[in-house]
Amino acid sequence: MKKIVFAIAISGITLMACNNSNNKDNATEKMNDSSAHTTAHVSPFTSPVNGILHIYLQMKNAFVNDDDKAAANAGNEMVKALNDFDKSILNDSERKQFEDIADDMKENAEHIAGNAGNIKHQREHFDMLSKDMYDMVKTSAAGETIYVDYCPMYNDNKGATWLSETKEIKNPYLGKEMDTCGSIKEELK
Amino acid sequence: MVVIIALQFIQPARNKSRQVLPSDISKIYDIPAPVQSVLKNACYDCHSNNTNYPWYSNIQPFGWWLASHIKRGKEELNFSEFGNYSSRRQRSKLFSIEKSIQDGTMPLPPYSLIHKDSRLTKEQKGIIIDWADKIKDSLNKAD
Repeated sequence: MKKIVFAIAISGITLMACNNSNNKDNATEKMNDSSAHTTAHVSPFTSPVNGILHIYLQMKNAFVNDDDKAAANAGNEMVKALNDFDKSILNDSERKQFEDIADDMKENAEHIAGNAGNIKHQREHFDMLSKDMYDMVKTSAAGETIYVDYCPMYNDNKGATWLSETKEIKNPYLGKEMDTCGSIKEELK
Repeated sequence: MVVIIALQFIQPARNKSRQVLPSDISKIYDIPAPVQSVLKNACYDCHSNNTNYPWYSNIQPFGWWLASHIKRGKEELNFSEFGNYSSRRQRSKLFSIEKSIQDGTMPLPPYSLIHKDSRLTKEQKGIIIDWADKIKDSLNKAD
């Protein structure tokens, strides 16, 4: 399993590098090459987006269990992971896209971190954070199967999505009382 | 007493910019008059570059307390610089505006205690939420 994920990660990076080399000069190509080499030494499970995704999943599970404190802790961890993200592996357009998503994520994570005791407010930010996480995984590949789930009831029937590592529905928005509400909308690989 | 008098000479800088920036929300989105009036009376004091200072702001330490609120408020959301946020963040801000109005966490209850104009009726809350929703939808479509 590890090997497959590793291979996907590497091919992903190579593909990105190929796409970009079309309209970039040699210097950028060299940069992409060297960045591909540096990432190749990192295990895919510690690869940065995957790390952020795993903190997100911890947070999601905290909300499934109505655990505001664990959600807040995950919020702090997420802010830290986003700050520590090594952006040197990204090219200019990727960096711009990443920063756009990460800025919003950081703000939402900070609110979740700072609002232990107010799980309703934390969940509002988790709704927004989930959209960001989806976009981030979508643009960079998670390296594992991730389910995109949808609950039509949350937020006065406006609905909300979340990402999950399990096929089984465990709703983070409605908590323990209605934790099986929702359905799988999409699978990300 | 001497300390209190001495304190009056240390006035915090004022949050008062006379110009309307190109990034001002009114320059990028259509704001109907009833929405604008709510924003002005209930939000802009802490969420824009233009505070309409109350009389007590000249008395310390109230002025400092106010200044710290304005600083925090602008960090969280600044309507004067709304256009500088990415569309993703604009969407999040609009979502938070809806939620905080709905939940009654904004305008801050102590602020509304003193500023009568900032107490929102059910109808006023409704028009703000609908307006924010409409802009959010237009942002979603633009993607």
